[in-house]
Amino acid sequence: MSASAEEESRIRRRRAATATGALAVLVAALAATPWLASDYGLALMVNVVCYLVLTVAWALFSGTTRLVSLATSAFFGVGMYTVAMLIKLLPLYATFLVAIGVGAVLALVVGILTLRISGMFFVIFSFGLSEMIRELMVWWEINQTHTMGRYVYVPFDTTMIYEHLLALAVLVFLAGWLLRRSRFGLALLVIGEDETIARQVGINVAVSKVAIFVVSAMFMTLTGALMAPRFSFINPNFAFNPLVSFQVVIMAILGGLQRLWGPVLGVIPLIILSEELQTEFPFWYSVFLGLVFMVIVYFLPRGLTGLLEDGWARLGQPLELPRGLTGPLLDAWARLSRPITLPRGIAGAIEDRWRRIMPRVPEKR
Amino acid sequence: MASILEVEGLRKAFGGLVAVNSVSLTVSSGEVLGLIGPNGSGKTTLLNLIAGTIRPDAGSIRMAGEDVTRLPNHLRVRKRINRTFQLVRAPPNMPAIGTVMAGVLYGAGPRLRFKDAGYEAAGFLGEMNLLLKADQRFDQLTYIEQKRVELARALATRPRVLLLDEWLSGLSASELEGGMSVVWSLAARGIAVILVEHVMTAVRALCHRVIVMNAGSKIAEGPPDAVLRDAEVVRAYLGGDDA
Repeated sequence: MSASAEEESRIRRRRAATATGALAVLVAALAATPWLASDYGLALMVNVVCYLVLTVAWALFSGTTRLVSLATSAFFGVGMYTVAMLIKLLPLYATFLVAIGVGAVLALVVGILTLRISGMFFVIFSFGLSEMIRELMVWWEINQTHTMGRYVYVPFDTTMIYEHLLALAVLVFLAGWLLRRSRFGLALLVIGEDETIARQVGINVAVSKVAIFVVSAMFMTLTGALMAPRFSFINPNFAFNPLVSFQVVIMAILGGLQRLWGPVLGVIPLIILSEELQTEFPFWYSVFLGLVFMVIVYFLPRGLTGLLEDGWARLGQPLELPRGLTGPLLDAWARLSRPITLPRGIAGAIEDRWRRIMPRVPEKR
Repeated sequence: MASILEVEGLRKAFGGLVAVNSVSLTVSSGEVLGLIGPNGSGKTTLLNLIAGTIRPDAGSIRMAGEDVTRLPNHLRVRKRINRTFQLVRAPPNMPAIGTVMAGVLYGAGPRLRFKDAGYEAAGFLGEMNLLLKADQRFDQLTYIEQKRVELARALATRPRVLLLDEWLSGLSASELEGGMSVVWSLAARGIAVILVEHVMTAVRALCHRVIVMNAGSKIAEGPPDAVLRDAEVVRAYLGGDDA
């Protein structure tokens, strides 16, 4: 028994080493992007990695506790605007640290205040929070400082931003990975499923929720802070753009929340599409985003990850025996002998779905 | 026997309805205390008060000499009071072992590493004959298996007082026998069990002492034979489907 156990642990160690090696190569390749890709490619990658961090950080909190937060733009904006406000007073890295601190304190206060709110109310509250901070900043800048925005000129070019974001992405994935095999992570999963049971196994529900909210918010704030030097002029309406929150939610559920790497599958296609659409049809992007959201909720409740997993499972199943040329012939014959159905096209699909949604109207007598 | 749990003058009102009206009780290690009474007599509310699911309006709860009346639910778990729920519940989409592991990691037991907690949890499931179901989602288990997972979850937190809310209800005759021997073994290892139950065979066979509740008050207390005889007298006079 001990021999086989030893064998097993040896195999496990080897697999872990291979996986770590592959990931290290991947990260190294990504880190080399600035010297390989064009300026446009690098700009695209900055966006991808930025949203990757935001989405994984969002999933740390919302994926486990099942509380949908629309406060992403609040923390992202706080990070960005803190740097913009302090850039003339402090060294750049010091502004990053201050930003993390402000984000953490904000998350702590908000977390404690919203503990008892759940479900839909939390969604609305988190959205309101972001909008409130934005309006507050607009008011402050107009009435107190008499500026409409801030200039950020620092020697922190796109390459630097990209490398820092990449490091942050590695960190946030590491946090997610550790969370999945730790006491605290298990507690969050139990809380997400049933808070009463969570209390009944001895978990401090309130503290756990606030803790993960703060951690997630710190990642979001730092992302915003790192992105600040990317734009030379920043005003509150730009920093606290609510679209960021919605995009993050849609990316996360498009990718699928049940796997840590799910967000990768959600972020890449949406960023590429948003680049294309925002240059070609700037006003249609929100409409498109809404459509994507409805498609996911309707057809892909487990996201793209679910699709991949199903495909993988199908690959593992035994193959059907090849039926040669006879097979298609037999099938065709069978189809010919059935009564003909006319294709009903998209209209038919809409009809079917409509019939399922609408309750049948009772006929009048 | 020195009692481990002492409840005194506990009272809880929901608006005008007094669900529990100054109830006092004690229970000792290794003792099985039955709690019976008609539906709506306040049994489950009393359990909720003791477990800390809700707070009492008045009265005190002492656990091993320590006042726990003001402690929230999760801290009472660490003071080694745990419970099962009348409508069995656990995280539905989680594998059975996950719930039990959470109990091991956050309960009153020694602090373990994550991996070791997994082995420990498997032990608790094994005790309930559920080792083969450890990786199955809770909502895919049968009713009796779910009840056993819930008990394993409670035991994983190392309780010294265990509150079972109709844990034996809804079982077939053979399942009931198995369930009763489980409760018996809990008492034998020194856990104080408070059993809310409508199944009178189980109450008669398992309980050292029985408390009868009606309309939020304790109306009788004593050894099961005597109390059940009295309870039947009450039922004969007052009517009622399940005394």
